[in-house]
Amino acid sequence: MPLLELRHVSKSYPHAKGNLRVIEDVSFTVEEGEFVAIVGPSGCGKSTLLRIINGVVPLTSGQVLYKGRQVDGINRECALVFQSFALMPWLTVEGNIEMPLEALGIPPAERRKRAGLYIDKVGLDGFEEAYPRELSGGMKQRVGLARALAVEPRLLLMDEPFSALDALTAISLREELLDIWRLPDSPVHTILIVTHIIEEAIELADRVIVLSSGPGRVLADLRIDLPRPRDRRSEGFNAFTDKVFSLIEERN
Amino acid sequence: MNASAGNTRRIAGAAFSFLMLAAIIALFFAYRGRMGALHAPRLSVSIRHLPYYAFCSFYRMLAAYAIALVFSIVYGLGAARGRIWERVMIPAIDIAQSVPVVGFFPAAVYFFVSLAHGSRLGIEMAAIFLIFTSQAWNMALGVFESARTIPADSLEVFEAFGASGWLRLRRLLLPACVPKLVYNSILSWVAGWYFLIACEIITVGPARYRLPGLGSYLMETVGKSRHGEFIAGLLTLLAIIVAMDFIVWQPLSTWAEKFRYEFAAATPELEAPGETVAIVGALYQIGPTILRAFRLILAPPAMVLRAVRERIPPLRPDKFPALERGMRIAGWIAVIAIAVFFAWAIVDGLVALIRALSRPWPPAARDIPIATLASIARLLVAYAISLAWIIPCTLAASTNPRLRQRLASFAEIVGAVPATALFPVIVAFVIQVTGGMNLVSILLILTGMQWYLLFNLLAGVSQVPEDLKEAARAFGLSRVATWRRLMLPALTPSLITGSITAWGGGWNALILSEYFVYQNRTYQVMGLGQLLDVATYETGNGTMILLSLLSMVAVVIALNRLVWRRLYNVAAERYRLDY
Repeated sequence: MPLLELRHVSKSYPHAKGNLRVIEDVSFTVEEGEFVAIVGPSGCGKSTLLRIINGVVPLTSGQVLYKGRQVDGINRECALVFQSFALMPWLTVEGNIEMPLEALGIPPAERRKRAGLYIDKVGLDGFEEAYPRELSGGMKQRVGLARALAVEPRLLLMDEPFSALDALTAISLREELLDIWRLPDSPVHTILIVTHIIEEAIELADRVIVLSSGPGRVLADLRIDLPRPRDRRSEGFNAFTDKVFSLIEERN
Repeated sequence: MNASAGNTRRIAGAAFSFLMLAAIIALFFAYRGRMGALHAPRLSVSIRHLPYYAFCSFYRMLAAYAIALVFSIVYGLGAARGRIWERVMIPAIDIAQSVPVVGFFPAAVYFFVSLAHGSRLGIEMAAIFLIFTSQAWNMALGVFESARTIPADSLEVFEAFGASGWLRLRRLLLPACVPKLVYNSILSWVAGWYFLIACEIITVGPARYRLPGLGSYLMETVGKSRHGEFIAGLLTLLAIIVAMDFIVWQPLSTWAEKFRYEFAAATPELEAPGETVAIVGALYQIGPTILRAFRLILAPPAMVLRAVRERIPPLRPDKFPALERGMRIAGWIAVIAIAVFFAWAIVDGLVALIRALSRPWPPAARDIPIATLASIARLLVAYAISLAWIIPCTLAASTNPRLRQRLASFAEIVGAVPATALFPVIVAFVIQVTGGMNLVSILLILTGMQWYLLFNLLAGVSQVPEDLKEAARAFGLSRVATWRRLMLPALTPSLITGSITAWGGGWNALILSEYFVYQNRTYQVMGLGQLLDVATYETGNGTMILLSLLSMVAVVIALNRLVWRRLYNVAAERYRLDY
């Protein structure tokens, strides 16, 4: 049984001229231990899709099955990493990471320990007491990542996590994410990432799901069978980027 | 920021406040002696005269707003000219804003009545001036902020093309001010109605000067137990407010959106527009139509002007050094003349002020400390009551969009009604039921206080960033945890801004609430507002007016500087939403 299964998921918003269809009839599965990327042009509803999976946004029709069962409301075994970081400006790094743990009802001593562990994992030692506005963009996203990892989710959802960062910071954060994911004692095994950067998807994921824009439909579901670590300049890599590009181009 | 530098600035700010204050009061005393007699016109409660009274009120509003508009553009752009201008002009507005306007009404009446040699024009001018002071400051600040936040590259474009000052004003500065000017104009009209009605109500009691208008009509009808006429008056007021909103403000707000500088990311429209929106949509055309009409009227004289200007060869001052020097000298002479005039007026007033204060103080002056404490206690009770219902309501609304929408529409309706229009009913009702003056006073203060808190907090709720709310939901925070970790901290700055404005409103209401005449009987309760009103309307004791006004303003400024400003700085530092 797959960890996550989407069956004919659609989403539309009420709009001035009838309904605005954002996602239409999207179906795919994610297996335990997989790293899956969803790519598509802006406006294909990929971020909305992620929020539907998490349960923050209700779907219009279709089904989201988690471990074969439909989840009502928020899926507590998922954790979300935001493009805009979404850190509480009045909480310290530690406070931000502890916030979801508090929601899970974990006792204070354990919360502190876990927050410390993940602060260490993302390389933020010494910044426990810092406030978000004192951190650089890359460091803020490390906090966002640590906050999600600290929940020790079965499924990590990432919404354009590196899009708000400069290119060099994004490269190093991508590498660190892969390092954390590949560790034998990694807190997460399954990751679903949404991005509009095709190279990023191909570099990171085992599978790339290509969405069309307005409304979002699945154009292709590609298995990326390149060896890791992947070389962006290799022929195989380029073949995949060309393929995804042409898929999206054709549709437009 | 350097701590000692901050202190010096605070001390300088406080010193400046008191100087400004002294100047204002000094001006009043300089003209006090020239006060003339004024005949009060008889006030009719007949419904036939209602349109006349409505017209009187509306034209006062319009006159005050027109002055406020011109003032705010000139003052706001002036303050935005440079650091030095800003450092003097912005604190001045800060003080003007924190002074309880209603308290100055008696002073304004004396000043303008003497200026108009006792004619009715004087009291009209006083009322218009009072409404102006309730409208102008936030508009001027809005203009200043807009002009200051114009992106540097836009300014550079005009410099790069060597565009003239006039072109820059017309194509850059004025358009940039439009959104905030429209937004603040709406707020100013709400405040203006409140003070207009207050001015008119005040004049009913003492029967020395009268302002025919909706406020005096409302007070008079309640006093004579003419309920039907009272309701008719209230409905007329509401009709004017609603009509203004539909015909002027809503179209103008839509039009003003065009001038916004931010390029917000397009988000899917979540609210389905209903039928009403379509009707409003048609009305939105009115704003541009009014503008087009103006342009049509102004087009012929503008064409003549342009033709004349094209005939006359352009004046090049740099070709005539003598002319240029002469113009510069003339400018300086004008500036010096104005400065000398103001200096003279202030010195003249200060002399009168010192003379007034050096006379033996009336025995009532001994009551001032206790009266001040009593007034503060009443304000505190009203504030506590406001917080007790508004904070739970906003918190509940913050996690329940439907409740939020309902509360917002409720606030919009209630906010449109100037609370002062309901003063007569509250007075009549509570006096007939309990007779407890303290209760009446606190209730009246409450009506002047609570809405500011509600508006600010509701605005705060809508400003909580969507991604933070989403994060709270995505991580499964319970409702209480969301309030504690997200909403309360995020709302703290709004709570403090709301509290500052609420206390400002409270002080104004205080002056109306501690002393009033109802059915030819005077009702009063010990307080600063009472001392001020008694001195103005009963004893006519100038020293007492001065002392009460001074104490009130000193308390207001001290509270603002020592309590609210500090809290605000802490909140702005810790709970700011950008990072």
